[in-house]
Amino acid sequence: MTETITTDVVIVGGGAAGCYAALNLHRNGIKSLIVCKGLVGKSGASLFAGNLVISGRALGNTEENARNTAEFLIKYHNQFLIDQEWARRCGQWIENIYYPELEEAGLYFRRDDSGQVVTSPGKIRSVAANVQGNSGVPFMDLRRKQVIKAGIPLREETVATALLRKSDGAVGGVFCLNIITGEAVVVAARAIILATGYSDRLHTRSTGTREMSGDGIAMAWRVGATLVNMEMQWWHTNDIADPPSWQRMQVYPNPMLGSEKSARMVNGAGEEFFNQQQDDPLAFGPYTVQLKALARQVHAGKARYDGGYYAGFDHCDAAEVDAYTTYGKAYRQLGLRFPEQLVETAVTSHYRQGGIDVDTQTMRSSVPGLYVAGGLGGHSNGLIALATYDGKVVADGVARDLPTLSASSLVAQDLERESRRLDGLRQSSRGGPTPAKMKERVRALMWEKVGVEKSEAGMRSALDEIERIRLDLLPGMRIANSGKTANYEWLDAIDLVNMIDTCELIVHSSLERKESRGPFFRQDFPLTDNANWLTANLLKKSGNGMRFERRRYDLPIFRPDFVTKDNLEVSW
Amino acid sequence: MVIGTDVPTLSGGDARRLGQTEMHDTLAARNSRLAPGDQIVVRIRRSGGGAGSTAIQEFHVPYEKWMRVLDVLNWIAENEATDLAYRWLCGSKMCGTCGVRMNGREVLACWEAAEPMMTIEPLRNLPVIRDLVVDRKPYEQKVASLEPWIERHAPYPQFPEPLNHRQMKDASKALDCISCMCCYSACPVIGLGDLTDFAGPAPLVQLGQTALDPRNNPDKVRRSLALTGIFNCVSCYKCEEVCPAAIPIVSRIIEPLKAKTARLLPGMAKHSFALREIVADRGRVDPSALILRVQGGRALANIPRVIRLLMRRKINPLKTIFKIKTAAAEAAGRILGAGPFK
Repeated sequence: MTETITTDVVIVGGGAAGCYAALNLHRNGIKSLIVCKGLVGKSGASLFAGNLVISGRALGNTEENARNTAEFLIKYHNQFLIDQEWARRCGQWIENIYYPELEEAGLYFRRDDSGQVVTSPGKIRSVAANVQGNSGVPFMDLRRKQVIKAGIPLREETVATALLRKSDGAVGGVFCLNIITGEAVVVAARAIILATGYSDRLHTRSTGTREMSGDGIAMAWRVGATLVNMEMQWWHTNDIADPPSWQRMQVYPNPMLGSEKSARMVNGAGEEFFNQQQDDPLAFGPYTVQLKALARQVHAGKARYDGGYYAGFDHCDAAEVDAYTTYGKAYRQLGLRFPEQLVETAVTSHYRQGGIDVDTQTMRSSVPGLYVAGGLGGHSNGLIALATYDGKVVADGVARDLPTLSASSLVAQDLERESRRLDGLRQSSRGGPTPAKMKERVRALMWEKVGVEKSEAGMRSALDEIERIRLDLLPGMRIANSGKTANYEWLDAIDLVNMIDTCELIVHSSLERKESRGPFFRQDFPLTDNANWLTANLLKKSGNGMRFERRRYDLPIFRPDFVTKDNLEVSW
Repeated sequence: MVIGTDVPTLSGGDARRLGQTEMHDTLAARNSRLAPGDQIVVRIRRSGGGAGSTAIQEFHVPYEKWMRVLDVLNWIAENEATDLAYRWLCGSKMCGTCGVRMNGREVLACWEAAEPMMTIEPLRNLPVIRDLVVDRKPYEQKVASLEPWIERHAPYPQFPEPLNHRQMKDASKALDCISCMCCYSACPVIGLGDLTDFAGPAPLVQLGQTALDPRNNPDKVRRSLALTGIFNCVSCYKCEEVCPAAIPIVSRIIEPLKAKTARLLPGMAKHSFALREIVADRGRVDPSALILRVQGGRALANIPRVIRLLMRRKINPLKTIFKIKTAAAEAAGRILGAGPFK
C-alpha cells in the first residue's frame, strides 16, 4: 500500500526558491511539504551562490550603481528576454526586504574588523555571506534551519517522478520515490509548486549537481505546461578542466571583495584575453562576454572549448585574494603555487535561462494547480536573490488562488500506472547498456552536437540520436541490482527518461530560434535579430506533438540600441 | 605566467605538519605521485546495510589527471560495479555529502586526491544503509535538538546592523562547516556511543555558528549548551585533523564554547574547575582529590572500585590528605593563580 500524504501545498525542490516559498506559506498559515531529491539546502544550484549583488540604493549604492545593476540584469544576464516590470518589482524587494530579513535571521554579511560591510568596488557592487565564493553554503544552511525551526515537513532524498491530476483535471499531486528506502510516497495537495532549479546536467561538462536531470521540465511538459526559451542557456567559461568532478568549480571572473582586481584568462600562447575589471566593468557576472572572448580564441586556434586555456590570479597578491574569498582553495588542493600558477579551464554548461512559462504576478503556469518558482521558470536567469523573490511571489500567488483550488481526489489509475512504470525500470534486466552509460551518452551527444556553437545539421543529427536512444536503447536497458535500498542505478534510469525528453525539447527550441543572442550561438544564423527575435520562444504541447509561438517582450526600461548585429560584436 | 605542476615544498611552523615533506605527504606530492594511465587499486567495503555481512571488493581503475576519490567511485559505478551505492551531490566541497574513510582516515571524496592503493569504507558512528551510504538522521536530529539558530535579545535595528569581524571571528570559522560529518566519524568520544552525552564535534560546530555570534540571546545559548555534554570532549584534535573545510574545531569552536559553558552553566564545568584548582593547589593531578570533588561521597560507595584503584596505586589517600608543598605546586599556583578561572 503506497503511503499517501495530504497537505495544502506540495513544493518540489529544496533550494532558495522552494525553501522561501515554504517559509512564506507557513507565515500565512498554509500547510506545505517539501519534497527534495537531494537534501534541503545542500543540493541544487543555490548552494553555488558565490556572492550577493547589491540592488538599488542599499549599502551606499549610488543612483548610478542602482541603474547599472538593473541594466546588467536585463542585458547581460537575460539579453532582454525578461519581463522588465518583474525585474523592477524584484529589485525593489531585494533592496527593502531581502537583505534586512536575511540579516535579522542571522545571515552574516561579511564585515571588516572596523564593522564596515565588505563590498566589491566597481560599477556594480556585491557583498558576501561570510566568504566570497562560498556564500551559498551559509545562506542555504540558514534556510535549512529556518525550515526545520518552522516545523515544515520534509521528504528528503525523495525524487518526484510524476505530476498527478485530480478528477477535475487540475494538477493536484506528486508521485514520489524515497531513494533510500525505495518506497513510493504520493503527496496530494491543492497546489503544486515546482522549484527544481535550472542547472540541469545535460552536457558532458555541466555545473549541474548529481541529482539534476531536467526533471521539472520533463514532468511539467508531460502534463501540458507551456515552456519558453528552452534554447537560452548560460555557459561558464572558466571552470576547472580536471578532475572531472571539479567541472562545477569556477575560477570566478567577477570583481573580488575588497580588491580592484578580478581573475584573468590567458590562451595557450600565454596572451591575456579576458579580464573583467578592464574589459567590461558593467558585465558583473561576465559569463557571456567571456564566452564571446573565448569563441574568438577558439576561432583563432588558440584555445578549445574543452580546455587549452588558463585562468587565475597571478597578477594579485595571495593575501589580497585570501582576505575575503575562497578562490585559492582549489589551487592549493591541487598542489599548485598560489597565486603564481594558473589552472587549465574549460567551458561548462551552466544555468538554463528558459524553462516553464509563468505569469510573473502569481508564478502560475499554463496548467491549473501547477506553479513554478526559481530557475525552473523561464522568466529570468541567475542570482539567488531572484530565485528567492520567486519564492515569495509564488507563495502569495498560491495563497490568493487556494480558495479556488479544490481538494478533489487523484485519479487511481494514474497512481497505478506510475507505480508500474517505476517497478518496470527497476527490473530492467535486458542485455543493453546501463542507465549510467546511457546518461553519459546523452550528455556526450548534447556536448558534441548541441554545444556552444550550434548548426541545423548538427541539431538534426542530435534529434536522430535522441530518437535512437529512446526507441532502441531505453527498452533494452540493464540494471545490475533490482533491490530497493539506496538503488542509485534505479534513480539513474528514472533520470534518464527525463533527460531524454528534456534534451529533445531543448534541441527543438534551439532549431526554432533563428538568430544568435548572447550565449546562444548559431553558426547558420550569426546575427542578433531584434526585429524578429526579441521574443519569447514559446513551446506548446498540441496533441502528441508540439508547436511554437512567439510573444514580444515589452521594453519599458532598457532597450537594445540596434536592430541586427553580429552577435560576437554585441557586448552582452 | 607559470603553468604546470612543479612541486613546491610546504613550510610552516605547525607541529602537526612536521615530517610531511620528507614523507611525501604534502598536497603537491599527493597530486603528483600518479601519472595518467597508472592503475589504482581500490578496495571498497560493501554491504547491504543493517547487521548484514560486509565484504571487500577490489577494483583496478586507470588514473586520470588530478583524479579525486569521487572520480574513482564514479568510474567504478560507470564501468565495474554499476550498483555501487555512494552519496554525492555537488562534487566541489560545498554540499558535504560524500564523506568516506579512505585508508583509515575521513576524507571528502570530491576533495581528496586519489592514492595508488585505497581502501574505502563508510563513515563510522552512523548506521550504514548500503555500501558507502550512511544514515544522516542521527546527526541531523542531534543538530536540530540544539536549536542552532539566533534568538535576538534586542529588536533588529536595520540593515546593516552594528557588527564587526572581530566579534564574529570564531563564528565565521564555524560558518565554513558543510556538515560532512567527517569529524563526527573521527571522534573517539562519539565512538563510545551512549556512554557519554557528548553531542560531537560537528553538532558543536553547527551550534557554534550562532552560539558564538554576539547577536544571540545568552539565555538561548545557555539552553542549547546545556544539551551538549561538551566537557566530554578530550581535546584530541582528531576532528580538526580530518576537517575538509580546515575549521580549527577544537581551538576556535569547542574551546570558546567550553569557556562560554563555564560562564553560563558553571555546574557543567565542575570537573574542569576541580582539576584546575587541584593542579593550582598541588602542582599535579591528584586523582583521589579529583574524584572526591567531582563525585563527592558517592565515589566511596563503589567499594570494589576503590580497592581496585588502591591496589593499582591509582589513588593515594595519604598524599591527598597530607598534601606537601612542592616547588611544582608553587609554580602551578603562580601560573594558574588561585580561585576559579574566568
